[in-house]
Amino acid sequence: MPDKRDAPVGGLLRLFRAAPFRLTLLSLALFAFAGAAFMAYVYVAAAGEARRRTDAEIRREADNLVEVYDRAGAAALNTVLVSRMAGERRFLYLLLTPDGRKISGSLARSPVEGFSGEPTWIRFSLSGFDEDGRPRSIPARGFQQRLPNGGVLFVGADTGDDQDFIVTIVRGLWGAGALVVVLGITSGLLVSRNFTRAMTGLTNVVASARNGDLTARAAVRGAGDELDQLAEGLNDMLDRLDRSMSAHRHAGDAIAHDLRSPLTRLKARLESALLDMEAGRGDARQALRQALDDTDGVLRTFSAVLAISRLQAAGEAPNAVVFDPAGLVGDMAELYGPLCEDKGLEIASDIAAGLTLRGNPAFLAQALANLVDNAVKYTPAGGAVMVRLRRRACGDTEISVTDTGPGVPDFDRDRVVERFVRLENSRNLPGAGLGLSLVAAVAQAHGGRLELGEGPGAYDGSGPGLRAALILPSLT
Amino acid sequence: MRILIVEDDVSGAEVMARGLSDAGHECIVSHDGAAGLESARKGGFDVMIIDRMMPCLDGVGLVETLRRDGDETPVLFLSALGEIEDRVTGLRAGADDYLVKPYAFAELIARVEALSRRRETGSVLTQLRVGDLEMDLIARRVHRAGREIDLQPREFQLLEFLMRHAGQAVTRTMLLEKVWEYHFDPQTNVIDVHISRLRSKIDKGFERAMLETIRGAGYRLDA
Repeated sequence: MPDKRDAPVGGLLRLFRAAPFRLTLLSLALFAFAGAAFMAYVYVAAAGEARRRTDAEIRREADNLVEVYDRAGAAALNTVLVSRMAGERRFLYLLLTPDGRKISGSLARSPVEGFSGEPTWIRFSLSGFDEDGRPRSIPARGFQQRLPNGGVLFVGADTGDDQDFIVTIVRGLWGAGALVVVLGITSGLLVSRNFTRAMTGLTNVVASARNGDLTARAAVRGAGDELDQLAEGLNDMLDRLDRSMSAHRHAGDAIAHDLRSPLTRLKARLESALLDMEAGRGDARQALRQALDDTDGVLRTFSAVLAISRLQAAGEAPNAVVFDPAGLVGDMAELYGPLCEDKGLEIASDIAAGLTLRGNPAFLAQALANLVDNAVKYTPAGGAVMVRLRRRACGDTEISVTDTGPGVPDFDRDRVVERFVRLENSRNLPGAGLGLSLVAAVAQAHGGRLELGEGPGAYDGSGPGLRAALILPSLT
Repeated sequence: MRILIVEDDVSGAEVMARGLSDAGHECIVSHDGAAGLESARKGGFDVMIIDRMMPCLDGVGLVETLRRDGDETPVLFLSALGEIEDRVTGLRAGADDYLVKPYAFAELIARVEALSRRRETGSVLTQLRVGDLEMDLIARRVHRAGREIDLQPREFQLLEFLMRHAGQAVTRTMLLEKVWEYHFDPQTNVIDVHISRLRSKIDKGFERAMLETIRGAGYRLDA
């Protein structure tokens, strides 16, 4: 369970410490820097553009006025100026006589000091009032030139509107910038809260696993992202760990179960042999021999249990190679041939050629040997054992051993494949049950399974027989 | 035979040394890898029995060092690790055979003797002869006292192994390993049945049986 000890402040602190939040802040800072550069560029470009436009308008107006002068003379120019000033007041005008006296115009005097006669651009200020009636200085630009008669014409314009436009743009940009920062921080918080929550889940799972609880699993949010992959990886790891731990636990239980009775028997035998020897009666050799046989049985059980638990813990076949199982299966039939003949059993094999599978040949040989062994052990004389290797239609490789013995009743088939389960009626036979458990463990370690089914049915007074098949996945 | 035992389990080593001495061998015991290396370097051993996991210098390191020094004395690895990969690493390090603990004592003696024998018959043979039994490895034919014996391929391999180890005990596990190349404990008497087939072919109708069963150990082919 996520731990709720954190006070809000702690939570917030953790949020600020979260890697994605810091990344968001970093990217926000970079973004803000880029934004500022962008704003500066927009400002410069807009201001320059506004000035160029105003200058062009001033120049066009001045050219128009000079044209009026050229066409109709100074008096006409004056008339036009007066009528312009009466109309829209886009421009500022000043017309001076050659000796510098004002003829007409909206300015009291020229802002150009010490006019050389060359056409001159100038930037100056007008005094005016803002919207609230407070006096303010208004920026303006103008162009002054000499007329052919020696008089001076000044045309200017109030650039306060341009200025206002630029200020508006800048203000807008500031607003947008502030919005970006706020949105950035918010999204950073949201992202890092999600991330932190997922990470907290993972951390808690790791913490509980460290404390020995292997049942906790990380939530997979279904986004399929790296965090989900991490959670899935963690869960898979915990599954394997849990399986391995419980296999070890089970192995411990099974070893205790399987070894206690033979060890007790062994101890009793040795004790009675010692008593016999001390009392000087009988030959202790027989008892010692039996004790040795018991020891072999114990060791055999021990190795089988160990092999099973190792396979189950590993979850996969160690040292797997790609090979053709035909040799392995054929050799096994050949190995058991004479034994079958001696027991009055017929053994036959049907081996498909050219199959390949991936696995550990030694473990597979052991598994197959256990199956053939069981078949030989349980099938009465006059019966038959069939070893078969074939490819199933689905591509799986099947190695099966079929006998004509009593078989395993339907309701017990699943159970005998389970870990360390033995059927009551086979409990007194050495190794039985563990043998099939080992086969099942080998099959599982190879990604396959052990299938138990009915044999060929009634056969010469016995049957229905058992068909035990190792189903191993195909290579592809 | 002079045998070096390098085994950190002191009482285990003692039992092993006593058993091997009873079988007529001289044993020197070291209880860790470093001491074992020192003894081994003095030379003069026919076989070394080396435990896989030991303090100071483990079995793999010890054998690797010896082989690097050019010491070719046959080595039998003893190990509680019985997985195939453990066996493979052990043999790759330079050991000649590998025995998993716990083992039957007869198995240990049989393997030690097989190892010492291996060194003597290192050259390539085309014919094997044990008493009046002859095996032609090229023509793949077997005769006893001049009479030809017809063998199945597996029986031929089985007899070849027994003849190469004539006079020594060979265990069922050794036969399964060397003749069938399976590495597991035979659960039932599969091997015994093969042996009795072979015995009926080579001994039947002859005055003296060559292929003996040794209780608790395995089989021995005697001249």
